[in-house]
Amino acid sequence: MGSRYLTRRILQAVLTIVGIVLLNFVLFRMMPGSPERISHNPHASVAARAALRERWGLDKPLFPDQFIDYVTATVQGDFGESFKFKGKEVTTVIAGRVWPTLILFGLGELIAIVVGLILGAYSGWKRGGPVDYGGNGISLILYSMPYFLLGMILLVIFATTLGWFPTAGMFTLGQTYSSFADQVLDFTRHLILPLAAVSLGLIGQYSILMRSSVIETRGEDYVTTAKAKGISESRVLRGHAVPNALLPTVSLIGINLGFIIAGAITVEVVFSWPGLGTLTQEALEARDYPMLQAIFLILAITVVLANLGADIVYGRLDPRVRT
Amino acid sequence: MRQPLRRRMTRSFAALSLISVLMLPAAAPAAAADPVVLRVGTVQPLDAINAYLTEYFVGYEVFTLNYDLLVGYGKNAEPAPGFVQSWTQDGNTWTFKIRPDLKWSDGTPATAEDARWTIQSLLDGQAKNGVGSVGAGYLDLYLDYATVQSVTAPDLQTLVIKTKTPNTQILTSYIPILPKHIWEKREIGKDPNDAPVVGSGAYQVKEWKAGEYVRLVRNPYYWGPKGYEDEIYIQFFKSDAAMAEALKAGDIDYARNVTADQFQSLTGLPNVVTVESALSAEANAFTQINYNTYSKPIKGGGASTKALQDPAFRDALGYAIDKQTLVDKVLSGHGLVGSTIIPPAMAGGAWHLEPANRRTFDIELAKKKLNTAGYILVDGKRLDKEGQPINLRMVVPASSASYSASAEFITGWWKQLGIQMTTQSLDDGAVSALEKAPENDPPGKADFDVVIWNWAGDVDPNSLLAILATSAIGGNSDTFFSNPRYDQLMLLQASEPDPVKRKVLTDEMQQLAYDQAPYDVLFYDAALHAYRTDKFGGWQLQPEKVGLPLFGYGSPGYNTLTAPVPLATPAPSIQAPASTAPGASAAAAAPVPSGSASGGGSGASTGNSNSLLLLGGVALVIAAGVVIFAAMRRRRSAKDEE
Amino acid sequence: MRLASWRDFVRRLVHRPEGLVGLVIIGVFTLLAIAPWLFVGPLETVTNASGRRLEPPSVSHLLGTDNLGRDVLNLTVHGARISMLIGFLATLVTIVIGALLGIVSGFVGGRTDTVIMRITDFFLVLPTFVLALILAPIVLEIIGSGEVLGMRTTLIVIVVVIGITSWATTARIIRSQTLSVKERAFVDRARVIGAGPWHTMRVHILPNVTGLIVANAVLVFAGAILTETTLAFIGLGDPFAPSWGQILGASQDAGAPGLGAWWWYVSPGVCIVLVVLAFTLIGGALDDLLNPKARRRR
Repeated sequence: MGSRYLTRRILQAVLTIVGIVLLNFVLFRMMPGSPERISHNPHASVAARAALRERWGLDKPLFPDQFIDYVTATVQGDFGESFKFKGKEVTTVIAGRVWPTLILFGLGELIAIVVGLILGAYSGWKRGGPVDYGGNGISLILYSMPYFLLGMILLVIFATTLGWFPTAGMFTLGQTYSSFADQVLDFTRHLILPLAAVSLGLIGQYSILMRSSVIETRGEDYVTTAKAKGISESRVLRGHAVPNALLPTVSLIGINLGFIIAGAITVEVVFSWPGLGTLTQEALEARDYPMLQAIFLILAITVVLANLGADIVYGRLDPRVRT
Repeated sequence: MRQPLRRRMTRSFAALSLISVLMLPAAAPAAAADPVVLRVGTVQPLDAINAYLTEYFVGYEVFTLNYDLLVGYGKNAEPAPGFVQSWTQDGNTWTFKIRPDLKWSDGTPATAEDARWTIQSLLDGQAKNGVGSVGAGYLDLYLDYATVQSVTAPDLQTLVIKTKTPNTQILTSYIPILPKHIWEKREIGKDPNDAPVVGSGAYQVKEWKAGEYVRLVRNPYYWGPKGYEDEIYIQFFKSDAAMAEALKAGDIDYARNVTADQFQSLTGLPNVVTVESALSAEANAFTQINYNTYSKPIKGGGASTKALQDPAFRDALGYAIDKQTLVDKVLSGHGLVGSTIIPPAMAGGAWHLEPANRRTFDIELAKKKLNTAGYILVDGKRLDKEGQPINLRMVVPASSASYSASAEFITGWWKQLGIQMTTQSLDDGAVSALEKAPENDPPGKADFDVVIWNWAGDVDPNSLLAILATSAIGGNSDTFFSNPRYDQLMLLQASEPDPVKRKVLTDEMQQLAYDQAPYDVLFYDAALHAYRTDKFGGWQLQPEKVGLPLFGYGSPGYNTLTAPVPLATPAPSIQAPASTAPGASAAAAAPVPSGSASGGGSGASTGNSNSLLLLGGVALVIAAGVVIFAAMRRRRSAKDEE
Repeated sequence: MRLASWRDFVRRLVHRPEGLVGLVIIGVFTLLAIAPWLFVGPLETVTNASGRRLEPPSVSHLLGTDNLGRDVLNLTVHGARISMLIGFLATLVTIVIGALLGIVSGFVGGRTDTVIMRITDFFLVLPTFVLALILAPIVLEIIGSGEVLGMRTTLIVIVVVIGITSWATTARIIRSQTLSVKERAFVDRARVIGAGPWHTMRVHILPNVTGLIVANAVLVFAGAILTETTLAFIGLGDPFAPSWGQILGASQDAGAPGLGAWWWYVSPGVCIVLVVLAFTLIGGALDDLLNPKARRRR
């Protein structure tokens, strides 16, 4: 892969991030409603509200004072103090909430890819059979379902009715664990349902992708030639159909990232999963500018990096893409 | 070229995995004796553990557990020993006695000097920046209501407070006393008060995960009755449905504020008791219509018609609201019909006034009154005195479904009067932005006609009465009401020491506000809580018989809990207190392990949650590596074949 | 690829099983959306709720009632109008902006292309859902309350917000196609003759990207419905003109799953799945029709 191309892409990524940093500042302050008035508590006096605004730096003029403060702080990696969780550093709060989302959606995406590709391959292989129609049908339906709806249904069946899994949260609070394994078990019990919701929601796309790749590959001339030469179909399948599907899969992962954030917020609400999604919602409600700025920036940087990464991997995998 | 790359990657992955595994701490050792844990659920997330910074009810609950208030609250929300043990009043001088063996949770003796220092710091803060300016400004206001002038500590057990007037509000103030030896290096209004917290209250915050839970452990030096639980977790749920499910499943022991439907589905379940209270601290609130009565024209904003400034217009509209239907349909009967701005729940009904000339639901009467007031009907449209058809814009916050449901009903009724209505649901922040007048900082345009929202009060009527004072314009006022007689009464009642005389004044204020109708109070929501009886017994309602076990005034409910009490018959919907003397039964029934034993075990478990997440992350990285690997190998083998 | 005529196109679409199923489903829901009152009467509100709270499905209430006693079938059918209307308008906005920018960018090329593509890439990177949540109250404040052309402003706000956050993908796709069409001979000839750029774009480029625009529009519609549903679920819906997403959100807030009131959320849920599925099927069929041999994506 040409290093000029790489340099250009990296430069673009940096510029995009700069643009996001600037956008961040304006965007949240345009939202109606100021953070010091959110609590609707009758005791809040004018002096108290003014003191809060001063503490948060909101009493200074927007340009240039607040803007310069914001830019200098961001460049140094100081995201400031949360408005909602008073006294807590934004980075502390986010650090505690990023991991749950990462695990839930990272594992979910992984499972979706692996199972989806296998399902799609099998489905495309046995084309026209009941497996194909069944598998394809299920994939399509799952693809059309909002993640949170899946979550609600799973919750009702497996947690509320059958009682196999807990209904909310990540750990059972206040539990003392006699061993590490116990703790892992508790976490896993809480993880299974939301993980299932996320994986099932994502499986559809990958299985559909793989299925059409397999079908295409089977129709190719070299497959017939290979079969005539005595090479097994499954080997051809593995050697060509799978790699063919990988390229669009990689770009799909990048595209998915944006939609995953939407899924994160809603699925986490359904399962009371204490992750980044619910944090975003809380911050929006409270007009917690520093928190929102940090989250937005992190999300955007993640997408930029993921796209950059996808482009690089794509370039490695597909020799046609070079400059 | 590929081979070396692969080998390099293999090696780096292996190294990474090895390092990650080594970083994991060892498995947690088994705890000596498992602590008894009380789990409480709420939907409102805690915003601060510094008592002077929190703005929410749940924050009050946490700080009343952490710290003693100067004067606490008893079984019926009456003044009871808190930080101080007893008090006497002599005119404007209050003398408080502090028990000699009082200690902070770190073992340091707690004395009158701590109380003096706390109050003096608040007074100093006010002197510097004005009243209501320490931290979030909620708590130092109480000093103002009590007209505190000076505070001294002549000896370690005596505190003397001098006030400007002989009123008794010092006894119902929320003033948490902070340990001087910890806070003299901190700024009361700014410090985050990171855990672990040191206080003199029954339970101390050990850990706070913002948006997830807060964990409190027993204060071994606490002076009061000891509850059965060693630790308290308050868990923040994202929805009350999830919270209700958790209560059903036994994952939590107490659920605060469930919906009417959940309440119904929980009632009658084994080991679950549901409590409805229209007279508790939580129910000390009202839902109201507030009219935009701003009297000066605002460019680009303001009310859409001058009719809103006319009390006769507002009064007439009040006859077209069927509040009983609202309570029946919107609250499913869980609430009381609204009237004046002091809820019946305040101080056990001591302040609420049943107004004279109550408005009834009578559409025809409403029409007549509108006509008499000069708002005539032309072509089915009600015109204001400027000859324009009246089109009211009603805005409701999206945070609760009861607002939009009420709005639909009211819209329907007012349309029958010939008034056109535009109704909209906005998020809370947007609604609060609309309600700002030019006097606010930053200024707003008061671009609304009617809003439905609510206010919560506390033990003293001051805070709710203050909203309709002229001085509230530019502050809390969302109706911009201004009445000289009301303002005069406001000042008089604030300084009146005799409760009987004060009630006469507040009664007149309530009647005035009812007649002028800048607010039309729709209803007083009842609080719906539920709790389990299979892990804990000794639940006591505060106020007795009519209140709630937790989330009351102060936090006495936590100290009366006992081991589970076996019930002979299925629990009724509203439970009477099981035991009589809280101190005696709790102490007798609970073999309490000391605080130190609970520290070790539970500390390890939460510490390990971070390592668990790290483990998960590592698994993710390894798995991702494997997938990419397999892909590259496939690619390579495909190339080999061709 | 130019198709002989629209009738021919539809006929070929109908011949494929997925196309047929998709069209039938869309047809049914469009019918319901155009005049819901013909099928179930006026929208039930709290004031004229016809049943008791949370009644399970019965003869008088085929899909049961919600927690305010409103008939769920009535709400769902009226919800079709809101959801489909939002989907349609949002798709319109997205396609118009995306196609316009895509064609202009691809055809004109040079600095205009670079500028437009940088902007497009920027929008592609923004977390669209979070952006939608932020923009909604801002846009609502700008537009104000009331009704425009018989639609409540909240509906328009959602349309605008979805449009702003979705046009970038369409623009990219259309631009790619424009680039390949541009290379064709007759376009060069048109330029030589002296036809102006707008004329060329309208007469020569546009008909050749129409097929792709339609295929893309179908998928955008599906995405718009999903986005609207998710936004309404979070609380951006209008309780006074409920869409399917808003009904789902209200049911979740009231705790319907835990209360066993499955009819309340399954009804709008099934509708959403059916409509999105239908559009996906049609989209897939269109894709096959337009590119019989080409790769599926990119």
